[in-house]
Amino acid sequence: MTSLATTIRFADFSRFQQLLWSLTWRDVRIRYKQSVLGIAWAVLLPVSMMLVFTFVFTRALDAKLLLPTSMPYALYAYLGLVPWTFFSASLSGCVNSLVANRNLVTKVYFPREVFPLSSIGAAFVDFVIALVVLCGLIAYFDARSAWTFVAHRSLFFLPVVVCVQVMLTVGIGMMLAMANLFYRDVRQLYGVAIQLLMFVSAVVVPIPSDGSLLAQAISLNPLVPVINAYRDCVVKGCLPDPAPFIYSSLVAVVLMVGGWICFRRASYRFAECI
Amino acid sequence: MSESVIEFENVSKRFRIGATHDSLRDLASASLRAFFGRRKQKKGHEDFWALQDVDFHVRRGEVLGIIGPNGAGKSTVLKLLAGILRPDRGRIRVNGRLAALIEVGAGFHGDLTGRENIFLNGTILGMTRREIASKLDAIVAFAGLERFLDMPVKRYSSGMYARLGFSIAAHVEPDILLVDEVLSVGDAVFRLRCVERMRELVREGATLVFVTHDLDQMQKVCTRTVVLDRGKIAFEGRPTEAVGRYLAAVTGASTHRPTDGLLACDQHMVQLTNLSCRNAAGKVGMTIEANNPTKIEATLLLGVPVQRLVVEVNIRRALGELVVSLNSGRSQRFYSAGVGAHRIEINLPSFPLAGGQYFCNVRAWDADHGTTLLDTPFRYPLVVHDAGRATGLFCLEHEWSFCGEPHQKPAHETLKGVSPFFAGETHEGLPVR
Repeated sequence: MTSLATTIRFADFSRFQQLLWSLTWRDVRIRYKQSVLGIAWAVLLPVSMMLVFTFVFTRALDAKLLLPTSMPYALYAYLGLVPWTFFSASLSGCVNSLVANRNLVTKVYFPREVFPLSSIGAAFVDFVIALVVLCGLIAYFDARSAWTFVAHRSLFFLPVVVCVQVMLTVGIGMMLAMANLFYRDVRQLYGVAIQLLMFVSAVVVPIPSDGSLLAQAISLNPLVPVINAYRDCVVKGCLPDPAPFIYSSLVAVVLMVGGWICFRRASYRFAECI
Repeated sequence: MSESVIEFENVSKRFRIGATHDSLRDLASASLRAFFGRRKQKKGHEDFWALQDVDFHVRRGEVLGIIGPNGAGKSTVLKLLAGILRPDRGRIRVNGRLAALIEVGAGFHGDLTGRENIFLNGTILGMTRREIASKLDAIVAFAGLERFLDMPVKRYSSGMYARLGFSIAAHVEPDILLVDEVLSVGDAVFRLRCVERMRELVREGATLVFVTHDLDQMQKVCTRTVVLDRGKIAFEGRPTEAVGRYLAAVTGASTHRPTDGLLACDQHMVQLTNLSCRNAAGKVGMTIEANNPTKIEATLLLGVPVQRLVVEVNIRRALGELVVSLNSGRSQRFYSAGVGAHRIEINLPSFPLAGGQYFCNVRAWDADHGTTLLDTPFRYPLVVHDAGRATGLFCLEHEWSFCGEPHQKPAHETLKGVSPFFAGETHEGLPVR
């Protein structure tokens, strides 16, 4: 049976892992090739985004009114932007991952999951670098503003938050990669959707909690509790609100399992339909 | 008989001609139509069976060649074996680690250096990073790219690119290696090295499946050959026999009845009704023993009288250049021929072509008016047997003799003038250090 043959070739998990590592490394490498600043862009991008939003929301508009805590807005924005950038950069990579690797999809066989996964991996590298920068920012605001940083055990919850976010990303990313392979419209729709999603995910402005219909609709967005959880764990020193966070985790698991199964089922048609 | 490593059983593969739904708009309208019950309305769909009931097995250590005209389904077979495509019917079993070289450097990225691409492509082909690191020098040396290892491959020439690609694949050491028409790249020396490397892999116990258009290479490397034609197996067996079947499939000509399909020219004024060869024993056919006396006979049927008829018989390599052109005019033979059938004979005391497959055509002119009366396509096959005595173009009559000191007495002076190409090779009579 073909499926049997496929399984035999599949069984080599370490090969899969090596391949994933190679492709991730390729994606990271390519992104900063032939650029003067190179890997420094991984730091410069989120920091400059932070500066832009800080300017907009503290000089042009006053976001202080919306902020529930004493945390500096710049820190608030950065803590939203870092996970958000990880999420959106992963998905942007995923959408194109299969189509951009057309020559591999049609010429070489290996589990096709590596394409979206390596896109996520490459975004993860930037994410880790941005987290390191975060330490510097925290030290800066601790010294230069009225706000002081208190290290708290909730910091240890951070890996769980990252894990939930990764699962969510994998689920959505696989579906996007697959959908874009069959219908290129997906890439266009994605561009619009991701812009909209940013403003309903508590990235740079908090979600109003006034119980309005809009607020209730936004609370269904599984990304909101995840992004808020970063701020809770790192800066506020408390665990995230359990109910929304558990909701997000469940959605993440369902999306990942569902997305992976759909992807696997459709993957044997990739080479023909791409 | 050793075990089968590849079982390809009654496999059929279907492709859709015309895209199914290329955009969401199409999908939406199609699903609406389906929803409202007009399911039968299929527009622009047509099935194309790329393979139909293809069935073959490959045993361990075999080198299977797959040849066939364009569109015969060769690449589809390889892609099915590699797992890239899935069959619509039938069963494929592959037993062992398989590496497919369907396109050289399929995973190369132009911005990465040669070294980086070796690691990337190596893992894509199924090697571990440690394995690659240990073989890096061998891979680079094989490709001959030592100086360019840290240059981005986008600056490589296409030959360098292909050499690196093949070199990586050649070092995977798989149980089964699939090679698709990739050796047509690179220069002659590199191609030779590729063939050598493939033989080496086979000696080490690998099984090879090899798709090619290069018939010489196929005959050199393969132990068995499958000829595919329009998705079906036209022939399976010895490579030398396969060549004839392949050529028949390519040219649409038949090897057995060369006078099939008369070709008329100029309102049937001249027809070729027979073309055959006769050996010394009087046996007629399109098979010739090299270096034996041969008579080529062509029968022309003339519809008009011709004062000065010139006849020409050309012999061409199966897929290549013209080898011989025999023209009566150049021998100052002009025939005065009336209406009716005429037999023209060409006597060859020896026929010195190397064994293989050739094609002939026949031309005729009216030398007085300079008009072409007949010009057939190269559709008459000619098979030459040379009992394996020659490769290349010709089977020249020759004898060997050895003039020199016998073994053990070093004769340094004989080394002079020997091309460095042979230095280090073991030759009798040459001292080897």
